[in-house]
Amino acid sequence: MLHFYENTRLYLTRKWKISEVKNLQSRSHGSPGARDVYCVLSLDQEEIFRTTTMERTLNPFFGEEFQFEVPRKFRYLGIYVYDRDRHLKQDKILGKVAIKREDLAAYHNKEHWFPLRPVDADSEVQGKAHLELALQSQIGYSQPKLTVRIIECSELTVKNSGCDPFATVTVNYSNGKQVLKRTKIKKKTISPYFNETFVFEPEIIESKEKDISHYPLERGEIGEVVVGLWHASSGMGEQPAFLGEVRVTLKGLQKQPTNTTTAWYFLQPRQIKHRPNKISNSSTSPGTLPGLGSLRLKIHYTADHSVNIQPITSSAVYILGEIVASKMEAAQPLVRVLVHYGQLVSVMRALASHEISKLTDPTTIFRGNTLVSKMMDEGMRLAGLHYLHSTLRPAMEQVFLEKKPCEIDPTRVKDANTIQTNLTNLKEYVQRVFTAITTSGIRCPPLMCEMFWCLRELAATHFPKNKEVRYSVISGFIFLRFFAPAILGPRLFDVTTEQIDFQTNRTLTLISKTIQSLGNLVSCRGGAGSVCKEEYMECVYREFYTEKHIQAVKQFLELISTSSNSGIAKQRTSTQQEQPIVLKEGIYFLFMHTADCKKRIMIKRAQGRKRFGRKNFKQRYFRLTTQDLTYSKTKGKEPLCKIPLEEILAVEKLQEDSFKMKNMFQIIQSQRALYIQAGNCVEEKEWIDILTKICHTNMHMLMAIGFGICKAVAEIAPGCSEVSPGVEAGLRMVLDPDRDLQRIHSLIFTNMPRLETLMNACECQAVYGANDMCIIPGGGSLIEDVPSCFKTLTALREAAYALQHEHRAYFRRLARDTKYGSKQAPIGDDNYLHLAARAGFESQLIKRAYEIDSLNQHYAETDRCYDSGFSRRIEDQRSYDETFRKRLDSGSIHRRYENENNLLRRYENNIDTIKSIQNDLSTFDHSLNNTFKTDNSEKNVNLENNRILDSSSFLTTDGITISNTLSRKFNSYDHTKILKECTVTKFKSDKTDISCNALNDHTH
Amino acid sequence: MLRTVAWTDSWKNVKQEWQIMIGRRQSSGGGGGRTRGGMTRPPNNDNLVTFKLVVVGDGGVGKSAITIQFFQRLFVTDYDPTIEDSYIQHTEIDKQWCILDVLDTAGQEEFSAMREQYMRKGDGFLLVYSVTDKQSYENVMFFYTQILRVKDKDACPMLLVANKVDLVHLRKVTEEQGRELAHQLGIPYIETSAKDPPLNVDAAFHEVGETK
Repeated sequence: MLHFYENTRLYLTRKWKISEVKNLQSRSHGSPGARDVYCVLSLDQEEIFRTTTMERTLNPFFGEEFQFEVPRKFRYLGIYVYDRDRHLKQDKILGKVAIKREDLAAYHNKEHWFPLRPVDADSEVQGKAHLELALQSQIGYSQPKLTVRIIECSELTVKNSGCDPFATVTVNYSNGKQVLKRTKIKKKTISPYFNETFVFEPEIIESKEKDISHYPLERGEIGEVVVGLWHASSGMGEQPAFLGEVRVTLKGLQKQPTNTTTAWYFLQPRQIKHRPNKISNSSTSPGTLPGLGSLRLKIHYTADHSVNIQPITSSAVYILGEIVASKMEAAQPLVRVLVHYGQLVSVMRALASHEISKLTDPTTIFRGNTLVSKMMDEGMRLAGLHYLHSTLRPAMEQVFLEKKPCEIDPTRVKDANTIQTNLTNLKEYVQRVFTAITTSGIRCPPLMCEMFWCLRELAATHFPKNKEVRYSVISGFIFLRFFAPAILGPRLFDVTTEQIDFQTNRTLTLISKTIQSLGNLVSCRGGAGSVCKEEYMECVYREFYTEKHIQAVKQFLELISTSSNSGIAKQRTSTQQEQPIVLKEGIYFLFMHTADCKKRIMIKRAQGRKRFGRKNFKQRYFRLTTQDLTYSKTKGKEPLCKIPLEEILAVEKLQEDSFKMKNMFQIIQSQRALYIQAGNCVEEKEWIDILTKICHTNMHMLMAIGFGICKAVAEIAPGCSEVSPGVEAGLRMVLDPDRDLQRIHSLIFTNMPRLETLMNACECQAVYGANDMCIIPGGGSLIEDVPSCFKTLTALREAAYALQHEHRAYFRRLARDTKYGSKQAPIGDDNYLHLAARAGFESQLIKRAYEIDSLNQHYAETDRCYDSGFSRRIEDQRSYDETFRKRLDSGSIHRRYENENNLLRRYENNIDTIKSIQNDLSTFDHSLNNTFKTDNSEKNVNLENNRILDSSSFLTTDGITISNTLSRKFNSYDHTKILKECTVTKFKSDKTDISCNALNDHTH
Repeated sequence: MLRTVAWTDSWKNVKQEWQIMIGRRQSSGGGGGRTRGGMTRPPNNDNLVTFKLVVVGDGGVGKSAITIQFFQRLFVTDYDPTIEDSYIQHTEIDKQWCILDVLDTAGQEEFSAMREQYMRKGDGFLLVYSVTDKQSYENVMFFYTQILRVKDKDACPMLLVANKVDLVHLRKVTEEQGRELAHQLGIPYIETSAKDPPLNVDAAFHEVGETK
């Protein structure tokens, strides 16, 4: 067993699927009636991802998915819909959908139509401001003096590629008077430090100055302070651009003697009534018009937490697959964890063997969507993505470049004469792709080969007479689930970033179909004589259904399904080492000398020079492979610099203030350092993550650096860092087993009700055997081996609860330590509600507690029938009881009781009845100890114990809510009351149960 | 085409359904109405009503088998997984020709990214599962919800098809379970077998237009 100890951290992963937009307004100029639309996904104001442009439509369909890890805190995740305009320089914003970070969880795994909202310069704000407000009453004045100190701001928006911010302070008096003061302009920074103080003296009653005539209502009270932030435009006469504002109402606060508050505030959009009118005729979207259209989005949001996790046994893998709603969710983290521990192949073998044993018809082997097929798919994507790229890219690029028509369906072409030419084109493309695939066997990653080998062996054992199955079992994965989908949707597999038009799409479909059929060819008994599904495809198939092609497929399948022990595999490994695999590439700005692993632009800076003017930033194409990091002027050019991976000592994120630039990181070599600016925060994180892993493997990582993404190095028990030799270096670098374990934990916890249902079914089956009385709600097959299954389930639940307990403790601690108004939690956006909820761990959890409660009732019923069946089944009972005993021995009861007692003490102050419950509990405890000895009653104890376990966990949840200082916002008292009543009744029923049991014992 | 089909009332309903669809398509014009069929159909077919039927379901449940049985009167024994096949048939009803455009799809989840494309285009859907595969039965729900979400409608012509009923001894999903699911989804239920002699295959393709 391996253990991980590391600091608790929170990961947020989001998977977005931008599906389609509908009912956009038509253009008012240019080509009327349609638009060229694309979407941009952004974190606050930073662009992260852009979809392809859909031309001439008002209902564009995108269907694009984008998955990324969120590297930093943010307020809103936005999707902006743009209309590309070739004539105007700037693309026009049609509208946006913005979702608050805290609300994202609510949209998890669901698809929604979101209405598009108007966008204008005043609504797009980000950042926060640190302010100090002080009101001091003064002798001789009826009104206090107001002091506003603008300390600093951070994360301001960049407007027109610059940010020269200044702040204004406006004080609104109740009599309508306004006083405006402003700070100096800070140049080129998004985190300006102002530290300027403004004093607003109260109106002097006996004022002798001309002000009196000006302001007849002299006793104006300070009503509101507005701190606005602006970008000073460089152009003369231009209006400063609005960056956001903070409004603080002070009305009524004057009565208090001294009131100094220092806090961080979120910048807010400008209120509509305060906006200048000029916007109405600008190029931004018609703000007030209703019905801008709507956007369909699917958000896949996972928040993973980490604490100590044990690797989960192989049987748990199966259970996890059973309890989760979508097998895909489980497959991804499972495969990654298993690959890390080098156990993927063995687990796959067990699962696949189980599935084959249930199979009756070998022709449909692994064709459905099961856990095995999902895990195979995930494994292939994980291990074989580079292989896929190197195999398909050259052949596919030709298709994208030439765009030759390939339509051969007579019902889809206008001119029947073109079919012959199209057929020639198609044949050429297919031949190219086919050759590329069948000659790639030697480069197939060892992990994939291992998996295929294992599947082939299984097929041979289970169907010794059917030789075709040995091939079809592999072609069903490598062709059907790997190459064919990649050809059909190359963008989804990163094969290309090119936009794909309708005709090319159809070409790809035809190629994909033919390749899939060819791959399946060897297993078809009919061969060339078999039925052709679509008539027009026959002429294509006839060309390829030759002995030569069949032979090529056979050889390819043989080659990729050989065990690594053979000579071919060794040969394969050696070729692989010669060919570097691109891990990351991109064009970025480089300061001096930088390292680039992705294909974006980074900034490099010349080391030794004092300042980093614009001059020193150069766009460079960076590429990180398994061997080195290079950069060149553009893609394809000779590299200007080459850094072997061994020379990379460390990578470090640079704080914004060190360069006044965002998304900077540096790569440290022994003699020098590279400074690179990534395109956005997500890319920056990806680069830093992958480079950090490289540094770890280098083994001489500099330990000094405090990473922005606090990557506390996992203390791995000795011997555990060994990764199986089958895992290549490139693959190891993209794995993060800790977080995948966390994801598994999240899955188990969210699917707890289903797990508990399975436990019930186990018990039921133990008593009555496999019959209709014990059907698992929602379907599912009968449990094969009850005792072991139950054991695993119990262990899973225990682990999940223990973990969740720690998470809650962590969040409570976090919430307690977070001060409202601090930089981490600025004022605004109603986020105190979220803080409070965090401390109480979401009303959702409370809801879950109720669910457990209702489950308990179900439990009680099971319990009753169990009791009656019990005496009849003592024989079966014995083995079953073994599993329980362990849990009793663990002393977990006592711990639970302690928890409960603590909780009860808290209640004591206001609720007397709790005391009686405590008494009940102690008597119950006694009775527990008494009944403990008799073998017969052991089961009952456990059932009680389970119930207490459940109730205690839900009491704990409640306890947290109470301890939370902001709980009154939630009327938690009412909750408490309800929960308490529930508890009382439950304990009462427990008591009666016990007495019943005691009676039963007597009668026995 | 030498086959006789029992022209039941359902056909008239189908026809009505199609005519409503066509009417809608013509009136919408422009982008929305520019479907593949409309653009590339031979000119003599222009005045014909087209009904786009999409066959969906898990991998290996026999989607292609029933489709080929319907169009080619054959039972294919070899399993060749489908990527995307389309079949067109001209049918005469009340002396008026109609086009039945059937799209046979891939069941494997690896192709799920392409699903939405054809779901948008389809007028009616056959939700197929195999009575010998419990998992495929459970997955019907996913298809159902996805179709409605993509269509952004509360209802859509659909039919629940329980296939492979000839394999009695291997049956894992009972008729009651099938009917219960159909009732839950508010769509009709039919039991089919593509193996010769075929059972209810024609009826399945005809009946889907009937549902509203």
